[in-house]
Amino acid sequence: MSDIVASNETIVVVGGGISGMTSALEAAECGKQVILIEKNPSLGGRVAQLYRYFPKMCHPTCGMEINLRRARYNRNLRILTMAEVTEVTGKSGDYSLRVLLKPRFVNENCTACGECEKVVEAEFGDEFNYGMSRRKGAYLPYNMAYPQRYVIDERIIGTEDAGKAKDACRYDAIDLDMQAEEIELKAGAIIWATGWQPYDASRIQPYGYDRYQNVITNVEFERMADPQGPTGGRLVRPSDGEEARKVAFIQCAGSRDRNHLRHCSRICCMSSLKQARYVREAFPEDGMVDIYYIDIRAIDRFEDFYKKIQEDEKVSFIKSKVASIIKDKEDNPVLQGVDTEGGNRYETSYDMVILATGMQPSINREAFPIDIVINQDGFIEPDEKNGAIFASGSAADALDVNRSVQHATAAALRAIQVVNKTAGAGV
Amino acid sequence: MMSINTVMVEKYRNNFLREVEANVEEGEWVKMCMQCGVCAGSCPLGDAWEHPPQEIFMMIRAGKREDVLTSDSMWMCTSCYNCIVRCPRELPITHIMHGLAHYARRLGIQPKNNPTQWFCDVFWNNMMKKGRVNELKLGLSLYFKNGFLSGIKESLKNAGLGLNMVKARRMSPMDFFGGHGVKDISGLQKMIKKAQELEADRIDRHGG
Amino acid sequence: MADDKKIAAYMCKGCGLGERLDVDELKVIAEREGRVDMVREHDFLCSEAGVQLIQNDIDSEDVTNVAICACSRRSKTEAFNFENVAVARGNLREGVIWARPDTDEARELTQEMAADYVRMACFESKFSNAPKSSGEQSRIDNVLVVGGGMTGMTAAIEIARAGYKATIVEKTGTLGGHLAEVWKDIPDRSPYADPVDTGVAAMIAAIESDARVTVHLNSTVTRTSGAPGRFAADISTESGSTTTENFGAIVQASGYKDYDAHQLPELGYGKTPDVVTQAELEKLAREADGGPIHRPSDGKEITSVAFVQCAGQRSDKKGHLPYCSGVCCMASIKQAMYFKDNNSDIDTTVIYTDLRTPGAPGEDFYRSGQKKGVVFTKGTVHEVVVGSGAHSVKFKDLILDEDAEMAVDLVVLATGQVPNSGPDMEQISEDKEAAKEAGEEYVEVPVESILNLDYRQGPDIPQLANGFTDSHFICFPYETRRTGIYTAGPVRRPMDSAQAKEDGTGAAMKAIHALEDAAQGRAAHPRSGDLSFPQFRKEGCTQCKRCTVECPFGAINEDEDRYPQFNEARCRRCGTCMGACPVRVISFENYSVETVGQQIKNVEMPDEFDEKPRILVLACENDAYPALDMAARNGNHYSEFSRVIPVRCLGSINTIWITDALNSGYDGIILMGCRKDDDYQCHFVRGSYLANARMSKIDDTLSQLNLEPERVATCEVAITDVERAPKLINDMVETVAKVGMNPFKF
Repeated sequence: MSDIVASNETIVVVGGGISGMTSALEAAECGKQVILIEKNPSLGGRVAQLYRYFPKMCHPTCGMEINLRRARYNRNLRILTMAEVTEVTGKSGDYSLRVLLKPRFVNENCTACGECEKVVEAEFGDEFNYGMSRRKGAYLPYNMAYPQRYVIDERIIGTEDAGKAKDACRYDAIDLDMQAEEIELKAGAIIWATGWQPYDASRIQPYGYDRYQNVITNVEFERMADPQGPTGGRLVRPSDGEEARKVAFIQCAGSRDRNHLRHCSRICCMSSLKQARYVREAFPEDGMVDIYYIDIRAIDRFEDFYKKIQEDEKVSFIKSKVASIIKDKEDNPVLQGVDTEGGNRYETSYDMVILATGMQPSINREAFPIDIVINQDGFIEPDEKNGAIFASGSAADALDVNRSVQHATAAALRAIQVVNKTAGAGV
Repeated sequence: MMSINTVMVEKYRNNFLREVEANVEEGEWVKMCMQCGVCAGSCPLGDAWEHPPQEIFMMIRAGKREDVLTSDSMWMCTSCYNCIVRCPRELPITHIMHGLAHYARRLGIQPKNNPTQWFCDVFWNNMMKKGRVNELKLGLSLYFKNGFLSGIKESLKNAGLGLNMVKARRMSPMDFFGGHGVKDISGLQKMIKKAQELEADRIDRHGG
Repeated sequence: MADDKKIAAYMCKGCGLGERLDVDELKVIAEREGRVDMVREHDFLCSEAGVQLIQNDIDSEDVTNVAICACSRRSKTEAFNFENVAVARGNLREGVIWARPDTDEARELTQEMAADYVRMACFESKFSNAPKSSGEQSRIDNVLVVGGGMTGMTAAIEIARAGYKATIVEKTGTLGGHLAEVWKDIPDRSPYADPVDTGVAAMIAAIESDARVTVHLNSTVTRTSGAPGRFAADISTESGSTTTENFGAIVQASGYKDYDAHQLPELGYGKTPDVVTQAELEKLAREADGGPIHRPSDGKEITSVAFVQCAGQRSDKKGHLPYCSGVCCMASIKQAMYFKDNNSDIDTTVIYTDLRTPGAPGEDFYRSGQKKGVVFTKGTVHEVVVGSGAHSVKFKDLILDEDAEMAVDLVVLATGQVPNSGPDMEQISEDKEAAKEAGEEYVEVPVESILNLDYRQGPDIPQLANGFTDSHFICFPYETRRTGIYTAGPVRRPMDSAQAKEDGTGAAMKAIHALEDAAQGRAAHPRSGDLSFPQFRKEGCTQCKRCTVECPFGAINEDEDRYPQFNEARCRRCGTCMGACPVRVISFENYSVETVGQQIKNVEMPDEFDEKPRILVLACENDAYPALDMAARNGNHYSEFSRVIPVRCLGSINTIWITDALNSGYDGIILMGCRKDDDYQCHFVRGSYLANARMSKIDDTLSQLNLEPERVATCEVAITDVERAPKLINDMVETVAKVGMNPFKF
């Protein structure tokens, strides 16, 4: 990896989701040298795991195809996957980063022909599907994974499977001796686009996510809706594989809550409205959806989407934070609480319940590689003390995709301003 | 002299929220409620409440002074703390409920013949005698609340439980003859008296 | 075709191609039928050695055109990214061996399929040229910023900070826009607790002291012409003087107008000065400047105030705004704080249906408002009754489920933002049509244009809904239908100042990106970096104007002689003009009627009685083509009779391809493109829609040829249709089996 050339005019982007890709591509297409660092084996981040976007009900992979195309053709962009920044030192216009490169055990020779996957026997929970399905120990993370290269799971190294995989490869692409290595990079500006992770639903004790099979999260439901997902696009109860026709959504599951995330995660209202449509499209006759909410935050143009869903008489909105979930004999989750509009108590059973879990910023305040200003909710504050480290997307706030892209585009300019200044072009 | 209730009505006019903030324990939290209703749903006695906590908070904001203070809803609270644990805004709901009940009583407009209130009085008087609760007497006075005959019936119904408690040394039959007290009962009484004076003084200042 | 072309074909034997296919035969086909100058094979073409082999041929054998017969163009793109040569990819892996089962029975027809893809690649390569920029372009590092509010000021400052120049044209006499009228702003930094200074004065000072930023006050843009890299704008002052300046790109930050609250008489507006809009309350607050706020009617110190949320918004009533402006909840909390911070005894009530305070800032600010004693009531206000002393707000309390009334000194209506986006040309033409149909005279309501573009397609950026400018919205929020012009701020979507600042910065980035692209002749999004551009043979042109009408991006004007004028820097390279042209005079170096037509023509057509139909699939390269690639990877096989050709956009499909294909014996044709309605997914906005419109006329051709209409299908295919796309192909094979083979095979 010594061939990576970086200088104090280089922009390093940390995180290869939609925000990081956007920042990286905007800067690279403006002629800047950009290094994009992604922790996972492939780019795409959370967006790649979504089936459809609100409010257009279009497919995230469509925009991703464009972004990947941009990435493939751009000579200014260098992508490092399975890489993590461990240390940052220096100041605006002059940073040094230490980056840990984890072994993929597959080199650039890989053609993604898939022979290794066929021979490996060990299986693991598929991260892409939030563990709802299994994948092989040699795998391509997902259909559109980029780089389009396989990964050998570290857990099969030293087993017979590893040898089988190597023997199956005709392109000398599998290198079982690959070691983790640490490299040092220079950068003038750093864009931090590490995004978010779904809030751990098992911590919301009264909802029993860890106890009831038919209580799942919105991100899991999203995978379920995807025809390429773990259920082939069928909306089914995990307990018995029966179709989930009567479904409840619990909003603010872990958001707007001092016991969990204090902030509003912004996306969950729209995401549940979208997922309500999945249910109604799958079961136009008898699909039934109840959405339990505190405030429906369908801002600006999203209001149209909200209105359309409201017009569907099979979708109801109940202003109530659900108090608890119990389970009946048929494994049906039963929601208990009070409808605050009128004060009616309910105890309603559903085929399946979806927790609209919130966005937890993927920033570890204690272990951030350099001292910058991170607010109490864990997002990066736009502070002068941060020098030339700029947040991009949901590292800055709970943002939906289009706001993330907007924010990421702005972040690219902030980084360009710094490196232009270094190069003597700016003010 | 005007009743303290009339004084308060005069003082706060239509602003019941402000009255609650100034006079009710933890009353300043009422404004922080965002009407999610998780407290209402979490209350194990929820069915028994005419107005669940979240609704009471809204009524306070809407200035429904009479409806709130004469309601027996907050007297239903058994201090299970489920609501406090789940409240996304960390409102000390249990305390507010007790505070409201207490305030209503202070104003003398609490619902009459409320069993909770009756029990509180019995409990207090029982405890103040010796500085410790005499559980045997407390239990018996509860059983005999509605007269001698029903008292005998209730007592017999719970005889087994009583015996078990005696066996487990959780209760002594000897308590019937007085029971244990604290070492310095007059000191305790003096202390309580002082506290009551301070409280009355505080109320006078706010209420006057 | 120039004679100095040297064409080389490369056969890869990796990934099972060598085992599944008879590569020697394919080489012969490339040489004899593909008529290339040179054929080579390699066991592993994308390896360093394989790539070097090709590069050597380019360097020392003067190879100019390359046909790589290996995997899909979506795979190993970086390896086969050769400069200054025309590259075609024969998709033998995803398109052939993965799309077919690995069985002995399948072998023969799979080989036939591969042979066709080799022929197609050879001919595509042969008829392509390596694109070079035209030299039309120049680099102008000045960006025109229309509007001097928060968005425009931010854009200008950020552009200057990156080393470029910015010119602000502001209609009024001062910078600052709406925000200059505001007493304090919603906080944009943690802890999001109190109203903060707007920062307008500091920004104006920064702009005034920045030599890179020029400001024209009391001015408007009266004419905009040109293209990215060479825009010319007439900047006219109120007094009538006009200067013309050149710009590399444009940021349109024309902001919003306040909703006219006179349309809300039921809420008391206009009946008493004590019912005000949020904007009017700002004025009262500025006058008070931290002191007590007085009531407009009688000067009384205000002791109670009600904020009515969603006033004239989120409503389908005539004259109301159907959307949510998104900022009014935060603004009301801020304004309630004006009162509370001055005197906590003042009663402030916000009556809302959904409190929309999203993200971390929103929730913090909401809590802070509550802490300060602002009362929030979930309810819908139906009437404000004007009284002599206090005014009565009548509403339904949704929590207590009862009708309620509240007496207050002042009522603040949270009315919304109306975008200031100029006339909506599409709406006007629809209205004109409607009036014509109804036999009425169309009365135009004059709307002031913002940009006064001299584009044939209208003076302003097209709008999508509710007057907000159109953008691709989700993945690429800045992309408008007018290249090099980026809208930002509330003209794009309703927003507050913090968002406007972000948005202005993002638009500044895009503007810089656009002018740098233009300087090098590179395409803007989504074919970023593409150097090809539309070229046209003037002699053949009949001046039918279809290209100018259909271009989704308004790239094509007419010159003095009424010929199309392409303005390549405005062009997004979708090829819709090429598809539209009935005389086929428009082409790109590497994508033309010929490059595709030759592929169609050079597929070997079996005899009618061979029972081997041919299905032509023209697939959108961004969605349908990847879906087919992924299908094959996943083992979803499809018919060996299909021949798939990727197209830049369905809009680029010229009907001559369809006619020729039917005439030369194809039995079925499938067009696979993106969704086309209001929620369009076509990245060229209207390409898919236009293709559909054109294909609706193909039935005439079919009936002339006496062919069944079901032979030609236009389908919406999403990138996720990994299972459906192969099925569509297989269905067509079945259809052909039913209706019979095309008799025109020769």
